Amino acid sequence: MQNRHILSWFVLIVSLLLALLLAVSLGSERLPIFDLSDSQAAIFFDIRFPRVLLGACVGASLATAGASLQALLRNPLAEPYLLGVSNGAALGTMIAFVFFEQFVFARPLLAFAGAGLATFTVYQMARSRAGMNVERLVLSGVIVTTFLSSIIVLLTSLLDAARLRGFTFWLLGDLSQSTMNGFYMTLAGVVIGTIVLTSQARPLNLMMIGERDAMDFGVEVGRVRMIVFGMASLLVGTAVAASGSVGYVGLIVPHLVRLAIGSDNRLVIPFSAIAGAIFVVLADTVARTAIAPRELPVGAITALIGAPLFIYLLKRS
Amino acid sequence: MREVRDDLGRTVKIPRKLDRAISLAPSLTEMIFAIGAGDKLVGVTTYCNYPAETASIEKVGDTQTPNIEKIIALKPQVAFVSTASQLEAFTKTLEEQGIAVYVSNPKNLDEVFKDLGQLGDMFGRSAAAEDLVISLSGRASFVRHQANYHAEGSDKSVEKPKVFVQVSKEPLFTIGSDSFLTALVEQAGGVPATKDVPTAYPKLSKERAASLNPDVIILSDSDDNREPNLAFKDSKAVKNGRVYRVNADILSRPGPRLVDALEEIASKLKEKGK
Repeated sequence: MQNRHILSWFVLIVSLLLALLLAVSLGSERLPIFDLSDSQAAIFFDIRFPRVLLGACVGASLATAGASLQALLRNPLAEPYLLGVSNGAALGTMIAFVFFEQFVFARPLLAFAGAGLATFTVYQMARSRAGMNVERLVLSGVIVTTFLSSIIVLLTSLLDAARLRGFTFWLLGDLSQSTMNGFYMTLAGVVIGTIVLTSQARPLNLMMIGERDAMDFGVEVGRVRMIVFGMASLLVGTAVAASGSVGYVGLIVPHLVRLAIGSDNRLVIPFSAIAGAIFVVLADTVARTAIAPRELPVGAITALIGAPLFIYLLKRS
Repeated sequence: MREVRDDLGRTVKIPRKLDRAISLAPSLTEMIFAIGAGDKLVGVTTYCNYPAETASIEKVGDTQTPNIEKIIALKPQVAFVSTASQLEAFTKTLEEQGIAVYVSNPKNLDEVFKDLGQLGDMFGRSAAAEDLVISLSGRASFVRHQANYHAEGSDKSVEKPKVFVQVSKEPLFTIGSDSFLTALVEQAGGVPATKDVPTAYPKLSKERAASLNPDVIILSDSDDNREPNLAFKDSKAVKNGRVYRVNADILSRPGPRLVDALEEIASKLKEKGK
């Protein structure tokens, strides 16, 4: 048993390294392996490398957030998008863009705030005297999502045409605006988020049996819930602030991970982080190269792969 | 009534005397004013900001989402639109109301001249349109001639500068093979850096942008496009201070002021760097 996990870790980490290697060696420009000229070095280190690293962090963030929300809500369909977390972050980022463009930290900060606020609202709406009901929660998520979407549409209508074009791309998930700063911020988010969420894996395992049973085992259910909501907001907030709404990652990746190694959250959460990184890095490689020198938004690729795969998984289960 | 052909080859029935028209594109508004028929416009879009007289004309929404009720209420005889593709249902509704829909979508300077002539014909301003076209095409030929003289004339060592037109900084949009600006840059004496990239306004990979190393960067001037993208930080254009802002309106509207854009680009291309 233990050996199998070591093997899984090994396979996953090697796959991530291979994916990163593949991603940095492909792009719209062909670069030699050695003896890069100054401009080629700039292309590699200033443009391609940060983008690949950011893609990895965004994928890890979204997949980890999805995996832990699914465990907490005991619903495999729970996903940052479904619960309105992503839209909250998107709205926060947009407000930062429109009103506080001069502050570097406004985007991730307001995205985090937006994600947190959306999560909190959904949670309050879903809470009833009888406790937390999963159907109510998902429904509240849908309501919050559509409400936030309409505000986003309203905001985009108020922005002028040039900005609008930027935002349509951004809303679909776009990694072309990656900088090393964006990468550091998302990296900080993903390291903190994944460690904290993995530390909650044992109580989450118990809560998957049932919240009452978990309480009997001494799990502070309310506290775990706040931690998961908070960390998921942090992860989704930093990811969305850096790259817009890259869809389906939080849904597909944890599914595949559970399919491969079962539902023990001590493994599902960290494995989802790595698998999510692989997924987005590969998807963005397609986005960067498929119609080079033009580009596709990465969110279109993840949705293109994610949606049919999701339907297949749904039919099978 | 008489029949005319619009730019899509559609046959459109328009009244012999045209007194009430609306324009759903800023480029068309500018063309109609340029031939002296601006007083016939009873409705324009919120984007129509030139000439100044447009301020007092009723606004009927923007090009993508015109307000159909308002258009019908204004009782125009003809609606001038720049594209019919996204407006199919809209066109049908207007035609049912007896409002003709005329599509004018010039794709280069010569088509602008041709459409000015057609508009002149429709508005009974043929003579004015003809004079305008003669003057505009004269200015344009002068620029073309000079540009070629510079490149191929006395000094053979002068190479045509490679020009990158930045439409939007983030995400990075530029002009492609189908844009009238690609032809315009060529006429102004430059080599458009992205002339082989498909479509009119492609989103360009920053890797490609960095490897293009243009001599000149032209920014379509808008709030979010005041500087070249960071991908150009080591380019010749940035190092030599050859980054120029050109009014976004004259760059984006295939109307009479495209000649202004041509002249402005040509004069920037002649400037020496630092």
